[in-house]
Amino acid sequence: MSALATAFRAELAAVLGDKQVRMIVLLALILYAVIYPLPYRAELLRDVPVVLVDQDGSTASADLARRVDASEAVALTHHAPDMAEATRLVHERRAYGVMLIPDGFERALLRGDQSPVALYADASYFLMYQRVMQGAAVPLRQMGAEIEAGRLIAQGTPRALATAQVSPAVQVEVPLFNPAAGYATYVLPAAFVLILQQTMMMGLALAATRRGPLPGHPVWRLLGRAGAWLAIWAGLLPVYLIVLPVLYGLPILGGPGALMMLGLPFLLAAGFLAQLVAALFRRGEVVQVVLLALGMPFFFLSGFAWPVEAIPAHLNALAQLIPSTAAIDGLVRVTQMGATLPEIAPILWHLWALVAGLGLVVLAVETVSPSRPAAPDRGPTAPSDSPAR
Amino acid sequence: MAREFRLLPRRPALAGLVIVLPLIMLLVLGGIFRAGIPTGMAVAVIDLDRSDLSRAVTRMLDAAPELTVTHRASDLSEARSLIVSGAVRGAVLMPQNLERDITRGARPEIVTFYDNQHMSAGSLVARGARNAIDTALAGLRLSVRQGQGEAPVQAMVALQPIPMQAHALFNPAFDYVHFLLAALIPTVLQIIAAAATAYAVSLDFGPGRHPRVLMRMAGGILPAMLGKILPYTVIFLLILGLSDVALYGWLAVPLRGSLWLVALGAVLFVLASQMIGALAFVLTRDMGRAASMIALITAPAFGFMGLGFPREAMSTLAQAWGAAIPGTWYVQLRIDQSLRATPLDISAMSVLWLAVIAGVLAALILAQLSRLARQEAAP
Repeated sequence: MSALATAFRAELAAVLGDKQVRMIVLLALILYAVIYPLPYRAELLRDVPVVLVDQDGSTASADLARRVDASEAVALTHHAPDMAEATRLVHERRAYGVMLIPDGFERALLRGDQSPVALYADASYFLMYQRVMQGAAVPLRQMGAEIEAGRLIAQGTPRALATAQVSPAVQVEVPLFNPAAGYATYVLPAAFVLILQQTMMMGLALAATRRGPLPGHPVWRLLGRAGAWLAIWAGLLPVYLIVLPVLYGLPILGGPGALMMLGLPFLLAAGFLAQLVAALFRRGEVVQVVLLALGMPFFFLSGFAWPVEAIPAHLNALAQLIPSTAAIDGLVRVTQMGATLPEIAPILWHLWALVAGLGLVVLAVETVSPSRPAAPDRGPTAPSDSPAR
Repeated sequence: MAREFRLLPRRPALAGLVIVLPLIMLLVLGGIFRAGIPTGMAVAVIDLDRSDLSRAVTRMLDAAPELTVTHRASDLSEARSLIVSGAVRGAVLMPQNLERDITRGARPEIVTFYDNQHMSAGSLVARGARNAIDTALAGLRLSVRQGQGEAPVQAMVALQPIPMQAHALFNPAFDYVHFLLAALIPTVLQIIAAAATAYAVSLDFGPGRHPRVLMRMAGGILPAMLGKILPYTVIFLLILGLSDVALYGWLAVPLRGSLWLVALGAVLFVLASQMIGALAFVLTRDMGRAASMIALITAPAFGFMGLGFPREAMSTLAQAWGAAIPGTWYVQLRIDQSLRATPLDISAMSVLWLAVIAGVLAALILAQLSRLARQEAAP
């Protein structure tokens, strides 16, 4: 048992006592929390600039333009005489779409013909494309419906019947969670989980590469260390997942109980994985670079931003070994969607299975090489701590 | 420079960082986005009507490429639980007496619920459901008009007085690989180039080493530094080239603009990324702190490039921060020249910005190096 206590104290000292590890863990928290969310503070895309090319110049075309301009999603900020000039504005990124009302638009409507309108939206920016299409489609559809109903009424159909015939059912779309479609609300809760995992793994792996031999059975040493991780990150986890989201005004639906229940196996799994990363790469510098580079792939592998349905099966299977994959899914469902523990039970089991699996592998590695010498490559880093401070 | 190439095989850690790691990243990222367009999002149907019409709508939903109907829920709370637990991404509710109310002209509601926390998947569900229900209702409207004695073609025309001809500019296939991958690879390479360069420099210029020996060998501090940086420039450019071969060849991303401008941009981008690493190291003279500095600049860089949330909608501060990062301009250049076929005079601005960033970084490194040289010269 004393081996356990020794390992616990040694790991606490390794993480909190080492300037570099402390810097990664604590400074990263502050700076990442400030820099990462910076691009998303605006949250919503309103009034995306669109060019109007009105070749008809009629009352009807002006009416349509006014309706589109009034939509929340887009604003007709530029007028251009032809497509060439309009396209140039899009190339310059001064506008993200072009609405072309062709010559003869009003005449065709009055004659009772179809009168098409062309909409060009910049599809190299997914979000812009969506907003431009949305902003124009709704007013267009509405105006079309009014015209169709008008024609029916002119033919002698009663008003109420005409409306029902034009749109026999009302389509209602209800976004559950993140109803305003805010970008920060969407991406930050998941990003915070990933940042937590990457900085924790970086710090622990760095500490592991510098660890000297300790007495006692590997099981007690590992349990002692795991206790130290929990002692430190039990404080940091709520900061990332409750305090930061509150500071950024993100909604939180889940209770702290479910959060901690998920957080416990997540922290343990990430800690064990960090031991393996350290054992694999040995040098602190290399560990840092590798974990830094892995951040983006880990994020997209998690199936959050890029739907898991579109990830090839073998890669998805591999992704399940990374704690963040299950943790992002589970924690986002708990904090943002108010999931209860029974609803996320499979994710919880998944994380505990990872803890058991990774823990056994770490144990096997440490039993095979029981007293790995303190990392040989302290050279270029260790002595330099003094002068710059 | 030749010395650096000779040293590489003897330093497996360094060789792994500059060659193996980027190649693995390339494979993983390429693999993730290979499918191109996400399809088949799971949805639940809450069919309280159980009529011919509601079954037709369900069939239409299942036939939409974006959707697969995987569950049938008996009420809203069951559907909500399915969505929260992640079994489905949305649900479509068809109320009781839907068919009867429609024929009576009572205009009942068909409600689509979708998970907008997972916005990318959720908006696909909303779009797929909207189109499928529209198609089902259009079929209904068509049959009503035909029942009134209209000819099919005439009825078809009357349904949509103002049809919208939607065109997706620059990306007609609407394929995500085009822009996500074209931006992710430079982002990851920027991280690796900066960190690996800092590491390479630390091996010779770190405390306890004797940079002066190397400087004498190379004939001055500038050649010594260039000798440390340029070999890796070559390696990273080769990797970037390989990723381009994969993107434009294997994944068939179109290349519509000037290859030369992109190549010039690539050289400036790799040099600038490396100099971020070199500067971080000569400033801190400690690989650990240099790595933290590099992490702060390069790790969050993707968000600032504006591929998800556009740059133009960001705050001025976020735009300025993004403008100082080489990857922002290089990714813009790539997208401009590969997908958008932007006129050269507009795209030249991105190259110019890259050159300015590279120039400023080089000046800062030289200033710091000469300061260090003076410090070492003074006893």
